[in-house]
Amino acid sequence: MGKLGRLAINSEGFIFDPETGNSYTINKTGLFILNLLKEEKKTEEIIEKLTEEYDIDREEAMRDITDFIEQLRLFGLINAEEYND
Amino acid sequence: MTNVAISGINAVDNPGPGVGVIKSIKKKDKNTKIIGLAYDAMEPGVYMDWLTDKVFIMPYPSEGETPFINRLLYIKESCGLDAIIPTLDAELPLFIANGEKLGSFGICTFLPTKEQFRLRAKDRLSDLAQSIGLKVPESRTVTSYEELTKAINEMKFPVMIKGVFYKAYKAFNYQEATSYFNKIVSEWGYPVIVQKVVAGEEMNVVGVGDGEGGDFGMVGIKKLWITSLGKIWTGVTVKHEEMLRTAKNFVKEFNWKGAFELECIVSDDGIYLIEINPRFPAWIYFATGVGINLPERLLSAALGKEPERASNYEPGKLYIRFTDDFVTDMEIFQKIVTRGER
Repeated sequence: MGKLGRLAINSEGFIFDPETGNSYTINKTGLFILNLLKEEKKTEEIIEKLTEEYDIDREEAMRDITDFIEQLRLFGLINAEEYND
Repeated sequence: MTNVAISGINAVDNPGPGVGVIKSIKKKDKNTKIIGLAYDAMEPGVYMDWLTDKVFIMPYPSEGETPFINRLLYIKESCGLDAIIPTLDAELPLFIANGEKLGSFGICTFLPTKEQFRLRAKDRLSDLAQSIGLKVPESRTVTSYEELTKAINEMKFPVMIKGVFYKAYKAFNYQEATSYFNKIVSEWGYPVIVQKVVAGEEMNVVGVGDGEGGDFGMVGIKKLWITSLGKIWTGVTVKHEEMLRTAKNFVKEFNWKGAFELECIVSDDGIYLIEINPRFPAWIYFATGVGINLPERLLSAALGKEPERASNYEPGKLYIRFTDDFVTDMEIFQKIVTRGER
C-alpha cells in the first residue's frame, strides 16, 4: 500500500499526510476510490465496484480511476511504480 | 524558587524566541521567576508583566564581555539569578565563551560548545551535512557581478541570494539577483552566497541535545504560511521518520549540547540541510503546545536535573500565531529608560 497507508482520511473527504504536513480535499467519488485503494483492491475490482455504485459504464469508470491515480501520483501520495496494473 | 533570565523578548514582526520560551517555562511552573533581558526599552516583553517578573536592559554583546558579564552579576546580586537561556544569535558566542565563568558564580547555562557552535557556520555546513547523510544545495561564494553572473549561468534560475550570516532572497532573473546582491552587500558586506533552489517540502526540527549523544526530545514541523519576512505564521506538526532519524544522528554524531533547530528541504532525492540554528526558534511554543516542553527540559538540564526525554507528539497539530495588543502606564517606560530595569 506504500504511502497511502499513512494518510489520515475523514468521512468528509479531508486527507492529511502526517509525513509532509500537506492536506487535501476530495469529493465523494474520490473518497470511494481512495478507500478501496487503501484496502489494496486491484484496479479491476475498483472498476467493478464503481460501476455498481454509480450509474456509469466500465470504460468511464476506468478513465476516472486512471485519472484519479495519476492525480495521486502527481501529489506524491503514491509511488511512481504503484498501480500500473 | 528558581530565577531564570531569558533574552529575545522582542515580540515584534521578526520575533525573538524569548516570549515562547517564557510561556513554556511558566506553563510548567508558574512560580518560576522570569527575568527578561532586553536591548531596547521598546521591546514588548518589557511591558508584559504577566510573563516577565523583572526586566533589565543589557549592554550589546559587541560592547565587550566585561560590561555584559558585570550586568549579569549585578542582576544576580539585586534579585537572584540561577540560570540563563539566551535565545539570540548575536549573544551566543559571548555566553558560550563565558559559560564556565558564569557557572562559577552559580549562574547555569546549557549551551553548545565553541566547536559545536563553529560546526554549523555556513562555510562548514556542507561537511557537517555529509557526515550525517544529508545533502546541501549546490552553492557558490561570490564577491563581484562577474562571479554572480557566472554562478547563475551554471545553476540557472531561480537561485537564492544569501548573506553569510543573515538574509536570503529568491531571485528569478538577473535584475532581481543583482538588486538582492547589492542589498546584501550594502547591509552585511561581502561575500554573498548564490545557492541553487531545491524543490521539495520545507521542514524543521527543533530539539535539545544532552551533550552526550542523546536528546531531551524533538519535534518536526512544516511551515504552512509565512510572513513577508519569512517568519512562520501558521504551521503543522509532521512525523517524517527519516528527517527525525537524521536529527537524532546529528545529535549523536556531534554530542550536541543545548537547543537546536534544523532547517531542511525534503525532496524526492533525499533531505537537504539548509541551516542549523544553535538555539530555540521563535515558534518554540509550538513544541510545548504539543506536549514536548523543550525550554522546561533545557532549564532542568541546566540546573543539573534529569529532564524527560519523550518525543511522543501527534502529527497534524496546528500552530496559529496572531497579533494582540494591550495598554499600560507610562511608569514602566519611565523606569526602564531612567533606571535600565523594572
